[in-house]
Amino acid sequence: MSFYPQSPVHIPSELVLDFDFFDVPADVSDPVQIWHGLVRRGAPPIFYTPRNGGHWVFLRYSDIAEAYRNHEIFSTHKAQIPPLEPYPVLQPNGVDPPQHDVFRKILAPMFTPLAVRRMTDGLQHRAEGLVSGFAAKSGCDFVKEYAAKFPTGTFLELFGLPEERLPEFLRISDTFFRSTDPDIRAANLLEIFEVLEALFREKERNPGSDIASTVVQSRDADGNPFPWTDIINCGFLLFVAGLDTVTNTMAYVWRYLATSPDARQKFRDRLDDPSAFLLAIEELMRINAVSNIYRRVTHDCEFKGVQFRRNDRVVLPNTVANRDQSVFKEPQTIDLDRKVNNHVTFGLGPHRCIGSHLAKREIMISLQEWLRQIPEFELDPDQDAESVFGGPVMGFTSLKLRW
Amino acid sequence: MRVIANMNVCQGHARCEDLCPEVFSTDAIEGKVVIEQPEFPPELEEKVRMAVRNCPEGALRIAKGTGV
Ligand code: SF4
Repeated sequence: MSFYPQSPVHIPSELVLDFDFFDVPADVSDPVQIWHGLVRRGAPPIFYTPRNGGHWVFLRYSDIAEAYRNHEIFSTHKAQIPPLEPYPVLQPNGVDPPQHDVFRKILAPMFTPLAVRRMTDGLQHRAEGLVSGFAAKSGCDFVKEYAAKFPTGTFLELFGLPEERLPEFLRISDTFFRSTDPDIRAANLLEIFEVLEALFREKERNPGSDIASTVVQSRDADGNPFPWTDIINCGFLLFVAGLDTVTNTMAYVWRYLATSPDARQKFRDRLDDPSAFLLAIEELMRINAVSNIYRRVTHDCEFKGVQFRRNDRVVLPNTVANRDQSVFKEPQTIDLDRKVNNHVTFGLGPHRCIGSHLAKREIMISLQEWLRQIPEFELDPDQDAESVFGGPVMGFTSLKLRW
Repeated sequence: MRVIANMNVCQGHARCEDLCPEVFSTDAIEGKVVIEQPEFPPELEEKVRMAVRNCPEGALRIAKGTGV
């Protein structure tokens, strides 16, 4: 018999379901389906699972949107699932307003649409170089040869680090996002913090115009430097937030395009029309929301008629919100001309993903460049077994394409 | 017609700017909405309406007339 943990007594049995979002059954080829399977099975819109330390899951767009906006109940502070102690308090996303606003304000100017537009040439150059590296071959592993490298290279550039360090960063991020061995994870976390420590110390001595330099040189309202731990944890947030999410969104997008000649055609037709291209990208953002976001309940309370206890964990699955039929017309259909598209892929409210404009631009430029060099492509029938994973960010460790 | 933004609610998604750059842009500090043309011409009405409907925070509103 498998171990089945008990759920706390304050939770009525009809709200309890056995659901492990890290576990993708062998017959499921797309981890997103474990969430949509819940909806199809008629799971209650707010339910509790005793797995992974026990946590709630919200399934309605409206409840998810409310939770995003209500940090007085649903805090981002120490919200890890399963609960992990100690865990660095990420700046600014691991704290709630008003403290959240301090580091948010430091980062915001570097991620506005205006700032991101200035990065276009660099992104374009990177995309062109990577794609031309394999375009003449007849195929590639898209995840390993493109989707992992592109955002990591972008991260190095934004942090004022040389391109030569790409292999090192690919290795530490791969371990960070994929390893399940506790000893390897602990050593990896130490390594990341050592790298960040050295980086920020160097930028303190020799500041440049990069993000790391800006963060380390920022001063609080009284003109004093910020606590060193906060600076390092801000670097850690940017590392955690910007790599895996972009990689996996790209894997989903290319996986879809590889199987849809119509969609490839539609995007090719829009190569010279940036606003139509962007509109279509927005729909791919809706349908391919890879993040399942965590919150922690701040005090015993009732929300939507359900009793919550202080420190209860909550998961907000963006993919489910994005296919809620009370908000989206024909939510399961990918309509590249969808007119009204209030997806929550980047969250809502004060913690909305600050990197959303960069992420979208990375994906847009990648796709434009790819289609210019590789207009037609398809899935290689020979895919690696067990290349899918669930968890807070869902995706694929490998995706073989051919042309 | 006039378009108004609730700045307490705007979180800088910039969907409005993407959909109707004639009327909306975003600032360089926080990336929040800047309404360049509050009293937009009728030919932009459809685009402004799409921007209003696509704001994920519901921060935008169209008001009749020129007052507030
Ligand atoms: S779409 Fe809404 S939240 Fe985003 S910048 Fe415009 S007004 Fe603000």
